[in-house]
Parts: sequence; C-alpha cells; structure tokens
Amino acid sequence: MKVADYLNQCEEIISPGISACVGCNVELTLRTIMRVLGKNTIFAVPPGCMGGVGVVGWNKQSGAKAPVFFPLLDNTASMLSGIKAHYLREGREVNVVAFAGDGATVDAGFQCLSGAAERGDNIIYICYDNEGYMNTGYQRSGSTSKGSWTSTTPVSTTGKGGKKQHKKNFPMLMAMHDIPYVATISPAYIDDMVKKVQHAMTVKDGLAYLHILNPCLTGWGVDPKRSIEVSRLSVQTRYFPLFEVINGEYRLNREIKKPKPLEEFLKLNKKFSHLNEEEIADLQANVDRNWGRLVALCS
Amino acid sequence: MSMVDVLNGNQAAAKGAALSRPDVVAAYPITPQTPLVEYLTQFVANGELEAFMSEVESEHSAMSVVTGASLAGSRTFTATSSQGLALMYEPYFRASTLRLPVVMAIVNREMISPQTVWGGPQDSMTLRDAGWIQIYVEDNQEILDMIIQAYKIGEDSRVLLPVNICYDGFYLSHLTERVEIPDQNSVDKFLPDYTPTHIKLDPKIPMAVDPLTTGDLLMEYREKHMVAQQNALKVIQEVNEDFNKVFGRNHHGLLEKYRCDDADVILISLGSMTGAAREAVDYHREKGLAVGLLKIRSLRPFPQEEVSEVLAGRQAIGVVDRNVSFGWNTGILYQEIRSALYEKEKPVPILPFIGGLGGEDLRIEAFISCIDRLKEARGTQQKNYPRTCWLNKKGG
Repeated sequence: MKVADYLNQCEEIISPGISACVGCNVELTLRTIMRVLGKNTIFAVPPGCMGGVGVVGWNKQSGAKAPVFFPLLDNTASMLSGIKAHYLREGREVNVVAFAGDGATVDAGFQCLSGAAERGDNIIYICYDNEGYMNTGYQRSGSTSKGSWTSTTPVSTTGKGGKKQHKKNFPMLMAMHDIPYVATISPAYIDDMVKKVQHAMTVKDGLAYLHILNPCLTGWGVDPKRSIEVSRLSVQTRYFPLFEVINGEYRLNREIKKPKPLEEFLKLNKKFSHLNEEEIADLQANVDRNWGRLVALCS
Repeated sequence: MSMVDVLNGNQAAAKGAALSRPDVVAAYPITPQTPLVEYLTQFVANGELEAFMSEVESEHSAMSVVTGASLAGSRTFTATSSQGLALMYEPYFRASTLRLPVVMAIVNREMISPQTVWGGPQDSMTLRDAGWIQIYVEDNQEILDMIIQAYKIGEDSRVLLPVNICYDGFYLSHLTERVEIPDQNSVDKFLPDYTPTHIKLDPKIPMAVDPLTTGDLLMEYREKHMVAQQNALKVIQEVNEDFNKVFGRNHHGLLEKYRCDDADVILISLGSMTGAAREAVDYHREKGLAVGLLKIRSLRPFPQEEVSEVLAGRQAIGVVDRNVSFGWNTGILYQEIRSALYEKEKPVPILPFIGGLGGEDLRIEAFISCIDRLKEARGTQQKNYPRTCWLNKKGG
C-alpha cells in the first residue's frame, strides 16, 4: 500500500484549526505521526510551538482526539514514565508518547530523558528539532547550529555574529544510551517517517527515541512554500542524515552518494545569510566529520 | 492481627506506605530520607510491596513520575528532604494544582547554607503555600498511622489534594521506638482503592489536561483549591476519628492540647520537639504555674478557628519555631498563630522563640525558660513584642 493511502485510512487525531504558522512542517509531522500512533495513545506536549498553537487546548477546547497534556518544560520523560508505570500495573498496552521541541529535550529536559532511557522506561520520545526556542521568538538552544542568527545570538550591524558553538549531536547521544531504538526523521520523507514510527510502536523493552529536523519557517527565515524543499536539502546535503539504530545496529536510511554542497541548504535560510566563505567551509567540514563517523558506525 | 515492633521513623514511614498499597513509588535518596528509599526497594524486592518502583535520577523526576502515575489513576508514594524538596518545587506545586492525591513523606532537614544535613522543618514550612496539605508529626507511631490516614484525607472527594507527612530528620527518622503495625486486612478495609473521577489520562476517556487557561478560569481553579483546603479541616478530623475507632489510636487531628483546660499561659510546639515541651509543662505545673501546651499538627490547612478557640482568654502565649521567616524576625508558625488570633483575641503577649535549627537539640531546659518568659509576660503590653528569643547556647 502506498503511504498516502495508508495515512488516508488512519484516523486524524489532531483537530482541524490549530493555529500553526503558514506552511509549518511541524504541524504536518505531528498530524502524520498521530495518525500512525492512533487513538490508543497518551501524549505529552511540553511548552513550545505545538503547545502554543493549541494542540493541548485553548479556551476550553482541545486540539486532540487522544488524551493530551502539558508536562513541564523539563519533566516530559519522567511524567511519561509515571503514566507508563500505571498502565504496566494495569496490564494495558497504551502508546505513551512525548512530542517535544529541542529546548524541552536537549536542554532543560535532558536529565530526565537520560534517566528514563537508562532505566529502560517504555515510552516513545519524539523530539521535533527546530534548532531553538521558537515559540518565544527564536532564542538559541543547545540544538541551534553554529553560525545561526537567533535573538540571543545576534548578528552585529557589520554582519558578524551568530551562534559560536556547533549543535549537540543529540540522536547520537541518545544512541549512546544503548536504548532499543533511535531514529532520525525528516518531514520531506513521509514514507520513512511512517516506518520509523511503526517500528517505535513495536519496542516493548525500553525507550524509543525519534529525532526530527523541522526547519522553522519564521525563525530560520524560510519561504513557506519551500518548507519541504529545505527539509529535503537538509538530508541531501548530509546536514541531517537519516539513520536508525536498532538494538545497537546502525543503519543509514538514505545513502546520499552525491551530496549537494551545504551552501545550497544554507542559502535558503535567512538565519545563515551573514556567513562568509570561511564560516560556510567550517560548517561543511563539520557536516563531513559527522557523516564520516556515522558511516563508520554503519559499516 | 496487628503486631508490635521496634522501628525507626523511616521504617515506620516505609511500613505505613507499604500498608497503603501504592501502585507506583518513585524516590531519590537524600540524607536523612535515604533509608526510607532502601526499605521500600527491599519491600518490593521481597514481594511485600507490589508496586512499580522507579529509581529515578533526581527528586524532580521523583515528583514527576508520581504525578504522571497519579494522572493515569495510580495511588502513589514518594519521599524527600531539604534540597531534594527544593529541587522538586516545580512539579511539587503542580501536583497540588492538578489536584492529585499524591502522598509524600518529608523527612525534615535544614536548608543550606551553611552546609548541614541535620533536622529542622525549614524545607517544608517554606513551601506551605504551594497548595499541599502538610501534617507534622511527633513520633514514629504517628508517622506510620498518618501515612495511611494521608491517603484517606487526600483521596476524599471533598479534598483531592496531595498530602505531606512531615517528620524531623534524625530525631525521628533514625530514632527507634515501639510501633504498633496494623494488619493489612484492617488497613484495606479502612482505605479502599483509589479511583479518580476528576482527572485521568486514559485513551478510553480522552481528555486534555491543562490546556492554556485564561485568568478568570484560573481564578476559579484557585478558589476551588482554597475551598478544598478548608474542607480538609473537617476531613482530617473525621479521618482521625475513623482511624481511632478502627485502630484505637487518637492522634488528635488538626492539633493536640496538653493540660490546656485551665491554663493561663500556653506554649505552642510542632513536631518532635513536643515531647520535651510536655516535660517542661509538667515541671512548671508542679511549681504551681497554670501552663498548657498546644501542638500544631496541620500547618496546611491551618486550623485558625480551632487555634483561636484554644488560645482565647489566655494571659500569654509562646510559639517555638524550629525555622525562620526571613523578613519577619520570627519563625513561620509564630506568624500563623498571630494571624489566627487577630480577629478573635484582645491583644495578649505572643512571644516568638526560635531554636533547634540545623539539628540542634531543643532540650527540656529551653522549654522551661520559654515558660519562665511567658510567666513574666503575663499582663504586660503586647507592643513590646515580637522580639524573637533565640534558644541557643548564648541565650534562651
């Protein structure tokens, strides 16, 4: 069955009318993932874009047809651990899922996510990584890429600045917890996304971690109609490789034998527009380094 | 059949928790609560406690795990002290505002700095306005019994609030005493299963918990939370009476009076210091002073009516605080007592005492000197107070 046909037969869990930005690929991601997860799901949306646009609810109306709640910014994984503990005691199979931004995941929420991973709590943790605190106007996070303009890593009037450090390689950090499943996902590859969510649902002996790179159109300065194109370029330039780690075995899901120059991805993002050739070369070198390590792990 | 054993306070708490049959327990060790976590994990290992035990990586997660489990419908238990409680402040406040009847033992320990690990209820008393019910106990029997009662109080549909049972670190946590352990069948009858009807995360009955909420609705939440706290005043007394009927032990609910009936002056205590304070009252009674002791058990809700009733018509009142209220130059309990008396009582001297911080012993002599001061203060003008008297080696 084609992925579009499959998704069409799945029930929509996210209500129509949530107020995400025009062209938002996080909304597309959430709708797709929730269709796959289905109604037998309890999901947590910590403070962030998707909470802000009303997925949990606003004005006494909910944005979801499945049980949903706001955890705190920094306790998503541990609240889910508690919910899962209840259903284990009750003997009921329920998908217990986080849909959290990178701030709630790689920064404030890292400790409790790491704890849940180490304990082997059986939750599905999904991080939509838009490389910063977007709901509050794009402040830097530990997942913001080097060189990025953000409101807290500004660029001077002479065109100097942006974030000084590389982003955390967070999917790799989670893989190093030796959990049963880690995967990276892009909204430009829906068939791959569906397969990975389906696999995460089969994991019963620990935590499944899914990391999705979602370019933020307003924050990054991307033309809304190029939302998916930028997502695809992040994969085609090897900036964001699609891979999965199943019980310690690394697999590359897109080979990308002839990568496009990183600049093709960078130039569609206003947040990189101040970078000079040297800075772009530095970013390209980092991409090559990360790719080399990933390929070594996959071989 | 109940049995008698010799237990330290942490063992009593662990026993009380196990007898209450929690579904999910999460805890992170911290002195002086650590042995309590060890006892609970051992109970689970032995099969004496059939609970999901989560050995979390922090107190923040301990409170978050039990909050999540309670949201899904579990009965839960956790425990902490001092810095651990401070770390969990964020989910602590939220457990009460989500109206989840979590039970947490607080093994009271002083707050740093300077570095300390010893007893004192500064940790939990500082958090008195975070919406939880807070009950302070005096001995190990009370610890065990009150943890069972805490579930009955918190899960009551008129209350639906989390409950802290607070006991002094080391003085109780590491002190062994004779404790009567009720049998499981009697506890099961006293404490039926918890079935949430107000909030539950369950795919069979989908609901959104905590959508963004406007101020007018939030105020409604707060008002109902305040009403629940006031309802708890009645429920705490009822549960105490029910418990007494079944188990034959009366812990006196909101507060306990000792030799108060004809007393001209009254000293007020909280927690494990009360034993020494009683001795001091007996000492002064023998010397002919009509003195009584009032032990406050429920700090939240605060039994304003009951306190003002006990204190009405007395000639002097003293409050011994094992904590401070920065900015007031007194302890916290002192402020509570003064507020409770404002409308009811013509001004009488209310003397603030502070002592026993950082685990310092509050000896009988200290309470005797407090009562000496009350004796002197009888009939004097209120305006000279408050001037906190420090019960330390230099003074007091």
